Amino acid sequence: MPNKKLAIFTATGCRACENAILDIHYQVSSLARFADIAFWPYVSGSQWKDLEAEDRLDVCFFSGAIRTGADREAALKLREKSRIMVACGACAAFGGMPGLINLPQGSTERGQLQQTTDKGQQSPEDGKPELPPLEPGVSALSQIVKVDYFVPGCPPTQNFLWAAIQSLVCNGQSPARISFAAARLPEAISQAIASGILPPGGTLFAGEKAVCASCSRVKEEKRFDAYKRPYEAYESSGRCLLEQGLVCQGITTREGCGGLCTAVGQPCRGCFGKAEAVFDPGAKMVSAIGSTFDSEDAAEISALVDDFVDLAGTFYRYTLPTQCALLSKPSKD
Amino acid sequence: MKNMTFEPLRWQEDPVRVTVFDDPEHPQAYFQVTAPRDMGRICKGRPVEELPRILTMMSPAHHLVSAMALDRLFGVEPPPMALNMRQALLQTHVFRHHLRKLYFLISSRQNPFQIHRKGGSRGAIQLFPPHFLDEIMHHEALSQEAATILGGRCDHPLSAVTGGVSRFLKEGYYHRLSEIAQFCLAFANRLSEFFRDAVFGDGKLLDGFQNLRIEPMASLTLSKKDGNVVLTDSLGKEKDRFTPDMMFKKIDIYTASWTREPFACIQGSSENPGGKTGDMFHSEFPVPNPHFLFVGPLARLNSREALESSLAEEERQRLIEALGPFPHFGVVAAYWALVVELLQAAEKMNGLYVEEKLTGPAIRTIPSEIGEIGFAALESPQGLIYHHYRTDKRGIVEEIEILGTRTVNNALRCLLTQKAVESAPFREQAVKETQNRIEISLLPF
Repeated sequence: MPNKKLAIFTATGCRACENAILDIHYQVSSLARFADIAFWPYVSGSQWKDLEAEDRLDVCFFSGAIRTGADREAALKLREKSRIMVACGACAAFGGMPGLINLPQGSTERGQLQQTTDKGQQSPEDGKPELPPLEPGVSALSQIVKVDYFVPGCPPTQNFLWAAIQSLVCNGQSPARISFAAARLPEAISQAIASGILPPGGTLFAGEKAVCASCSRVKEEKRFDAYKRPYEAYESSGRCLLEQGLVCQGITTREGCGGLCTAVGQPCRGCFGKAEAVFDPGAKMVSAIGSTFDSEDAAEISALVDDFVDLAGTFYRYTLPTQCALLSKPSKD
Repeated sequence: MKNMTFEPLRWQEDPVRVTVFDDPEHPQAYFQVTAPRDMGRICKGRPVEELPRILTMMSPAHHLVSAMALDRLFGVEPPPMALNMRQALLQTHVFRHHLRKLYFLISSRQNPFQIHRKGGSRGAIQLFPPHFLDEIMHHEALSQEAATILGGRCDHPLSAVTGGVSRFLKEGYYHRLSEIAQFCLAFANRLSEFFRDAVFGDGKLLDGFQNLRIEPMASLTLSKKDGNVVLTDSLGKEKDRFTPDMMFKKIDIYTASWTREPFACIQGSSENPGGKTGDMFHSEFPVPNPHFLFVGPLARLNSREALESSLAEEERQRLIEALGPFPHFGVVAAYWALVVELLQAAEKMNGLYVEEKLTGPAIRTIPSEIGEIGFAALESPQGLIYHHYRTDKRGIVEEIEILGTRTVNNALRCLLTQKAVESAPFREQAVKETQNRIEISLLPF
C-alpha cells in the first residue's frame, strides 16, 4: 500500500497543537514509515507552491482559528486538496480562546475593535507590502469548510492524537499507544480504529460522556451554598470542585482528557467542547448550577447569583464561535 | 526587479511572511506578522485569577509570570515549596525550548523524516549520527514528562495559581523527576560536545553564517541580584536599571502599517535630534538601530554576568575563547547561547528536582483581599517578559499590558531578515537557499 500524503498546518494559533504532534512520544519521525509529509511548513519549511504541486493529499491536520483572510484562504486550499480534513485542537474545532473576541464589547472597547479590524484592510502605503485582511470575528474551521474529523483539546492529548493518526494515516498499522484513548472512545470508533477501517465522518476523537465520568474526584452531593472563585480557599483534598462551590465545567464537557485539570486542583474550562448530550454548554451550566443552590430563600439565592462573574467568558472559554446557541454561526456540514 | 514572498516560514511560532522587494543592489526585506494576538481583547472582562490559565496560550512562561503578577495584585507571598515548583517548571521549559530549537537546527539541512523512510537515508548528506534526532526527541519527551508532572499539562500548564501552586506532587513523582533530571543533564553534556565538534568547530551546519550579525543593539534583561530590569546599551554597558513597573515609562511601542506586531524601543530615542533612521525602516521609525532592543538567551549572556552553574559557565568561557568577549550580535553566538543555557537549565533541574525542595506544609497562601494593580517580569526561555494588570473592585480585568518577546524582538527579526537576504548569494536563482538562510538566522532569537 503506498504511503499516505499528509499535511499539517496552523492558522492563527499558538502552535501547541503542532508541537503536540511533534511530541507524540518522540516517535514523530517514525510517521515517515506510513506517510509522506507533503506539507508541514512549521517543521519542513513547505511553501504554498509545494502544496499546489501536489495532485492530492490524503489527510490534513488543520490547527488554529480563522482570524485573517490568509487563514480562510489556507483552509479553502487545504480542503480542496485533501481527501480527509481534520480539525486539530480547540481553536480549529470550536474557535478556541481566540474566539472570545467575538463577545460583544463595551462602547469604549468597540472603538478599539473597529480600529483593530480595519487596520489590515487599509490600502497599503506606497512601497510597503500588504497584510491579509482581518475577518470580522474568529471562526472555527468547520464554519469555513467541511470538516471530516475532530481532535479536540487545548492542546489535544497525545493519546487521542495517536488514535487519530493511527486511524486516518496508518490504517491501524502503527506501533499503537492508544490503549488509554481506546478505552475512552465510543466502542464503534475504537473497533474501527483497531481494524483499520475509517471511523464514520464527523467523529470526534474523544469520549462521549462528560468529564465527570472520568474525573477522579469524589462526588457526594452536588449542592453548595456559596460560590467560590479559584483564588479563594478550597480543599486540596480529592473532593469534587463543583461541590466546593467552584465553577467546574466537567458536567458539560466531553470527556477524553481523563480529568487533567481537575487532577491538578483546577476546575475544568471545557477545552474538549460540549458533551454529546448537551445542546449549549453555557445554558446547561446555568441550569446545573442553579439546581445545586442549597437554599430556598429568594433573597439568599439572588445574593448568591450576584457573586458570579463573567459567565459567558467562563462557560464558552473555548467554544464561543461554535457552541453558544445565541452567537454561533452554522457549520459547513 | 523581482519580488519574492516566503510564506509560511519554518519554526516561527507566529503566522509570518517575508516579502522581498528585490532590487539587485538594495533588496528590501519585510518581516511581517500577519495575525494579531488579541490578548488584550481576550483578557478584558475576565476574572483576574483566570489570567494564568488564559495567558498560558502565549507560552508556559507567560503562565508563570501571570501567577507572579497575581501574587502582587492579591498581596500574597507564595510558600517556598511553591516557588521551587514554579522555578523547576520554568527551567524544564527552558530545557525543552532550547532543545527543540537545536533539534530544528540539526534537522535544517536534512529531512527529519528521512531516516525512517522506506529505503533509509542513502544519498543524504550525513551531518549527524543516525537516530541522533530520535535521541533528541527522546529527551524532549522526558522534559515534557517532567513539565507535565510539575505543570499539570505540558504545553499549556495550569498549576501556578494566585499565591502558589494548585496541588502537591504525588509520592512517586520525586524519584521520576530526579531520574529525568539526570538523563537530561547527561544528554545536555553530550549535545554540547556534539555542537562544539560538529557545529561551532568545523561543522557544515552553520557554514556561511559565521559573519551574519546585526548591527549592535541594546538589550533588556532581569537582574538576578535585585530583580530589577537592566537596560544594556549596544556596547555592553549598563545604561539604566529600573523596577519592572517602570517598564512602559522606559520603553516605547511603535506600530507599522505592514505588520501586525508592534516594535519596542528605548523611550525618548524618537526625540533624538541626531537620530538617523534605521537601515531597514526608513522614515517609518524615527530611531537609529542602537535604540531598538532585544531579549533572549544571547541578550542574557551579553549582560556579562558569570553563571552560577559550573558546566554552563565553562561553556560560556569556551564561547568567549572562540568568539571573543561579549556583547555578541551574530547568529553563531546566538546558537551557542542556547547550548550554554541548555546546560544551565539541566543543572538547575538537577538542583531543584529533589524531594526536600518540592515538599512543604502548604502549597499556596490564600489572599484576604483583592488588590487593583498587579505586575511582574520574568526571564522566559525566549527572553524577558512583563505583565501589568489593573482590575476593578471585584477583580475583573479592566486593563492589561503585556510586553512579550515577540514585540521586543520584532525589530531584531526585521533587521536580521534584511541582513540574511542581503547576504544571500544568487537569491533570485536560489530561492530555497535564501529562505533557508532567513529561517536559520531567525531560529535562535
